[in-house]
Amino acid sequence: MGIGNRDPPSCMNFQQAKIEAERCLQCFDAPCTAACPTHIDVPKFISMIRTNNIIGAAEVVKTSNALANTCGKICPEEVFCQSVCTRGKQDSPIQIREMHLFATQHERERGFSATREFPKSNERIAVVGAGPAGLGCAFELAKLGYHVDVYDSRKPGGVPRNSIPSFRLAARELEADTRFLGRFFRLKKQSVDSDGLERIRKSHEATFLAVGLGRDRTLGLSGEKLKGVVPVLKFLERVKAGPSGMKVGKKVVVVGGGNVSLDAAATAKRLGAESVVVIYRRSEKEMRVWKGELDEARKQGVEIRFLTNPVSIMGKDKVAGVRCRRTRLSRQKDRSGRPLPVEIKGSDFVIEADLVVVAVGQTIDARWLDGFDRKEGGYIRVGEDFQTSVPGVFAGGDMIAGEGTIVQSVAHGKHAARAIHEFLSAK
Amino acid sequence: MEYRKFREIEIYPTRDLSYEFLGIHFENPFVLAAAPSTDNLEMVRRAFQMGWAGAVMKTTSVQETHVDLCYPMLSTFDFEGRKLFGMGNIDLISKHHVDEVEYNVRMLKKEFPEKMVAASIMAGRKEDWQSLVERLENAGADLIECSFSCPQGNIGEDPGKMLAQSPSATELTGRWVKEAARRIPVSVKITPHVTDIVQIARAVKRSGCDALTASNSVQALMGIDIRTFTPHPRVGGKSTYSGMTGPAIKPITLRTIAEIARNVDIPILGTGGASTWSDAIEFMAVGAGVVQFCTVVMHYGFRVIDDLKNGMSHYLDEMQFSSPREIIGKALPNIAPHDDLPRRKIRSHIDEKLCIGCDLCYVACRDGGHMAIDQRPNRIPHFDRERCVGCGLCQHVCPVDGCIDMQVVA
Repeated sequence: MGIGNRDPPSCMNFQQAKIEAERCLQCFDAPCTAACPTHIDVPKFISMIRTNNIIGAAEVVKTSNALANTCGKICPEEVFCQSVCTRGKQDSPIQIREMHLFATQHERERGFSATREFPKSNERIAVVGAGPAGLGCAFELAKLGYHVDVYDSRKPGGVPRNSIPSFRLAARELEADTRFLGRFFRLKKQSVDSDGLERIRKSHEATFLAVGLGRDRTLGLSGEKLKGVVPVLKFLERVKAGPSGMKVGKKVVVVGGGNVSLDAAATAKRLGAESVVVIYRRSEKEMRVWKGELDEARKQGVEIRFLTNPVSIMGKDKVAGVRCRRTRLSRQKDRSGRPLPVEIKGSDFVIEADLVVVAVGQTIDARWLDGFDRKEGGYIRVGEDFQTSVPGVFAGGDMIAGEGTIVQSVAHGKHAARAIHEFLSAK
Repeated sequence: MEYRKFREIEIYPTRDLSYEFLGIHFENPFVLAAAPSTDNLEMVRRAFQMGWAGAVMKTTSVQETHVDLCYPMLSTFDFEGRKLFGMGNIDLISKHHVDEVEYNVRMLKKEFPEKMVAASIMAGRKEDWQSLVERLENAGADLIECSFSCPQGNIGEDPGKMLAQSPSATELTGRWVKEAARRIPVSVKITPHVTDIVQIARAVKRSGCDALTASNSVQALMGIDIRTFTPHPRVGGKSTYSGMTGPAIKPITLRTIAEIARNVDIPILGTGGASTWSDAIEFMAVGAGVVQFCTVVMHYGFRVIDDLKNGMSHYLDEMQFSSPREIIGKALPNIAPHDDLPRRKIRSHIDEKLCIGCDLCYVACRDGGHMAIDQRPNRIPHFDRERCVGCGLCQHVCPVDGCIDMQVVA
């Protein structure tokens, strides 16, 4: 038997991981590594599973990805590493994420490997927002020797802590990461506003902003103010805050066809809703969701009505249903390259509902960011070096690109840290 | 968004794996064996930069030696889907004569003074052996390895026979070489193809040489094309015997090293079939001081050094060993003659909760054991403790780790 090969729960066992690891071709300059936003050296960590060096495997993963446990659990592998796996051209792709999870779960069970001493400088850098991008940046900065202050009014974790349903990500996975990362920076539990940002900028050599989005977009339909109509973030956050946080109705309609909508739908079903209907204006083909999310929602018994647009939300003092209209896809494409849906006249119908969850995207919530240059969608504009229009202030995560994946945000933070280092070194 | 690639910052401490062996400093126990990977300055340079502790340059010869290679020279023994389980070569010594290797050794020692650079040599006449030693020692080599065991074409006076198959020839040639080496140690690379490896090891010891490299490739016929009846590798419709290396020969090498270490007090450089950090530990546990690698590097590249070092480091931590040196010879007290092994009553035991119902243990025992396992309708086999003799076959064919184990009954 090798090193540390006690089987951890809820993932592949040692033998399964080994069998899968032996399928890996060990490509050189591997496409999986290139496809991972954090560039985990996949063949290397898999080769270590092959030789029973599970501790080493976890170390390789963590060297590249600060949120290793979290990503091991919820990274949409079909979008990144596994989508380009060379073995997939022979038979089926290697289950990379499962092995990543196996290695990191082992580390969590066993206790973290001791890290080395990083160089220490007196230069202070502020990270605003302790989500995936902020944590990714803070850790990379700590490796480079900076003194890092992380500002957040809530416990560290961001989206994975506050709104990813616990059936997808157990609290202990995230905590395994935040516990590990906690000693590399100082957490300042406070919210930030315009004056606060000014003070932070003055007392730090550079600032990295990663406060995420946080404000739900609205439909702009009549009836949206009715009781029982809930924006999706509020819904997910309340559910996550505790059992009494959110009362789920019997008949739930979720408007919108993204990953977050599916999260909300599966959550509602798990909490006991009799029927959950997701309405989406295009067809399944145009849905930009991860396979795991769609499978989970369907497994929970969620119904998805494609080619359906909400027209108004009905009800007197509280919601009673959603008036919908059928759509068809026109030849015209929208900016996303997908066919534009066109409403079909006279096709209206009503779906009864006592809870309507509106999940049609998010925008930046923080008003104190008004002074920053924006791009389409209201996201913060940054250059290739992640620097905003305000010199010395960098940004990453969802606030620069819209709702993305955890791993992309970690990568933003990591790359921004390197850019900050270059920026300060050139000073 | 495109993500720029950059070198990761190491976040874990690197453990010191260095120690002295044969009076030479080794950064870690992992050395490249004399092979194509060490026949080129740029390649060895790259290996050193990546963390290999040393290299034995591919076997060289005096300027007049004619090295007549034929291609293709490689073939493999693939087993149940795994490539390069064994690799066969009909390669010869390096085409690079001593002038070039002398230059390579000099350059490498200049650029990497902390690395172990060994030169491997092969000759026929006494003066050739001695001139090779002198020149390569002067070039800065840390160690001379003498190939007394190249299984293909031999420059010796007795064609078709390897030097290391004759104790007297080994001793005589060993003396010549050792005589010429003024400061640096000499190791003799031997073959496992002898009736009694201990006789050869004793001859090396008598010659005054400092160490043994055990052992060279295993002579093999790699396979036959069953339509054309040409063996592999096919060279113009014909073929010849290969020297086989890789994982398939590891158990042979382990036995060779162990047998020498148990009987002769002489340092051993282990080589032949090691691919992983744990293989290296096994080689060292039976007496090797350092371990040489070749086939795994030819398969996956120099990058395997990362896991070799990392795996070894974690192993030392786990075992609370202060240096790789502590591993050397650790398994030797546990190797005993068959007569001395305890006779106990052993029975196999199945963990029914783990059984996946393949009935491989059943069929193996029925047709290759003692008919001690019965099939059952629920596909969980029943083990009959009366008929079972405890041979262990069922445990080895079982695909599930830990499902069948052997228990001492009395």
